[in-house]
Amino acid sequence: MTVSFLTNWVHYLVAALFSVGLLGFLIRKNALVILMSIELMLNAVNLYVAKVSLALHSGAGLVLVVFAITVAAAEVAVGLAIILNLYRAKRSVDVDMFTGLKG
Amino acid sequence: MSDIAAGLFGVLTLGCSLGVVFSRNVIMSAFYLILSFFGLAALYVLIQAPFLAVIQVLIYTGAIVVLFVFVVMLIDQDKLLEVVTGKTLVLTAGVLAWSLGLILLRALNHSPMAVPVSGQLPTLRTISLSLFTEYLWPFEVLSVFMLVIIVGVFVLARDKVNA
Amino acid sequence: MNTVDIAILVAKTLLFYLIVLHVVPIMVWVERRGAALIQDRPGPNRVGPFGLLQPVADFVKFIFKEDPIPTGANRGLFLVAPALILIPASLTLAVLPFGDKVKLFGREILLQVADLDIAILYVLAIGSLGIYGILFGGWASGNKFSLMGALRASSQVISYEIPLGLAAVGAVAVYGTFSLREIALAQDGLWFGWLPRWGIFLQPVGFWLFFIASFAETNRLPFDLPETEAELVAGYHTEYGSMKFGMFMMAEYMNLTTISGVMVTLFFGGWHLPFVADAMLLKWIGSQNLLGLVQVVIFLTKVAIFLCVFVWVRWTVPRFRFDQLMRITWGRLIPLGIVNLLVTAGVMLWLGGWK
Repeated sequence: MTVSFLTNWVHYLVAALFSVGLLGFLIRKNALVILMSIELMLNAVNLYVAKVSLALHSGAGLVLVVFAITVAAAEVAVGLAIILNLYRAKRSVDVDMFTGLKG
Repeated sequence: MSDIAAGLFGVLTLGCSLGVVFSRNVIMSAFYLILSFFGLAALYVLIQAPFLAVIQVLIYTGAIVVLFVFVVMLIDQDKLLEVVTGKTLVLTAGVLAWSLGLILLRALNHSPMAVPVSGQLPTLRTISLSLFTEYLWPFEVLSVFMLVIIVGVFVLARDKVNA
Repeated sequence: MNTVDIAILVAKTLLFYLIVLHVVPIMVWVERRGAALIQDRPGPNRVGPFGLLQPVADFVKFIFKEDPIPTGANRGLFLVAPALILIPASLTLAVLPFGDKVKLFGREILLQVADLDIAILYVLAIGSLGIYGILFGGWASGNKFSLMGALRASSQVISYEIPLGLAAVGAVAVYGTFSLREIALAQDGLWFGWLPRWGIFLQPVGFWLFFIASFAETNRLPFDLPETEAELVAGYHTEYGSMKFGMFMMAEYMNLTTISGVMVTLFFGGWHLPFVADAMLLKWIGSQNLLGLVQVVIFLTKVAIFLCVFVWVRWTVPRFRFDQLMRITWGRLIPLGIVNLLVTAGVMLWLGGWK
């Protein structure tokens, strides 16, 4: 009983967390917070993959989540390096400032 | 009891993720991000994946958010104050995110995963074994990828002016 | 899980927490007297015999001191930071095996709060959380010295986690388990009739790495760069006073205790007496429960020895420069750790250790 309730419960949480991440991605202008919002979305997906994997009694999804978390760490490192460079270029991390390719 | 715990940590995770999005101060966003990830780790324990919970705390809370905070501290405080986004944009984004969430929820609830499968839950041993047998090739590719990332980040983040 | 089990769990948690909590005042005394001994001066000797009541006097002073919040501070984070550093310091205790087991109320009770099968990962994960207290405390103080301390702490702790993890993985490779209890159990008895079955003889390089990295993880001299009093006033806790500073201090000693406990478990036989197997000890003592008590005492003695080593090193070794600190870990410890892991894995494969 508890398991089935928790299963559905995870669905609600995953959907809500993903939406919150998306909202942050859309409304914020600070590059750092945008990166954080992407992490939130990624975490929602991770949680769901882990849940599905456990529901199927398989370790494959868990391994996938471990890989995803590892890649996420790398992605954040690159993202932050880029943000640092942006800051060095224009002394700002506001994404609206960077319109150099707009033509 | 585990239901109550799940509710508690779910609310913690969600509330703190809202905090991440709506905090004016970036460092408060980072603080909420830590709590949010910690709540997620607790949820991993509740869905019987303690290994992932520890990995989540070790990598996400222990390393990734530290990097975030580190970069926030490197950047001038007054440069972080941002212009408030327009009301229409916030409203549109809210409606968009809300509707996507509903679509997502519908999709998740109608996915065929509800079928209960019999068998053993994967343990730490089986996960580690599959990591080094079945998934050895992706594992190796990932380690080379990490090496590339280390070099790449080093080149990217280097101070070109003072170096 | 019924009520009795829960009650036992709560009792165990309280008991071990209280034990470690009492390490703090004792360590304050040991630290001050040890420093005095090394620097050839008497040290605190007025309050009580040998100055033993000095920690009590210190505590009273902490409580009654003014508790300022600087004007430029971020109030919320400034208040939360001491808790953020104290909570992870206490959480690690949950997986330390203080002893084997006792029989009470008709059931076997492990002398360990939780026997996780991922205990070592748990220790590393919780250990990496302790940094947030320093980071936010330093940032929220609104003081540039504190901020410098926080920045140093973050890069230092992240860097030194890698050799710490590599050293722990070496031990995991040898014992084939992540559970601290199983690792401790595997160190019972003797090899060849004269050498204790301790991890240090299997992983000498691993121990050395773990030992060095633990100084950096706990921000102790010679790696106390986040709080160098000569450069940064007091680093991340410059602006803290009263009991909030006291909490930083408590966290430091609790971190020392837990990391010593992990070191004892991984490399120094946990609760086992050297040269005496548990079965023999049981025959001498005669009662499983009494043996459990003796094991806890043995474990705590070993931890105490390590704590004294920490004090001894603090007052004898000079501080490193920050670039030297980084060079030590990235240039020496991490390559050494990888080589150690490779050699360990090779030998294990050669001996056919894993089935």
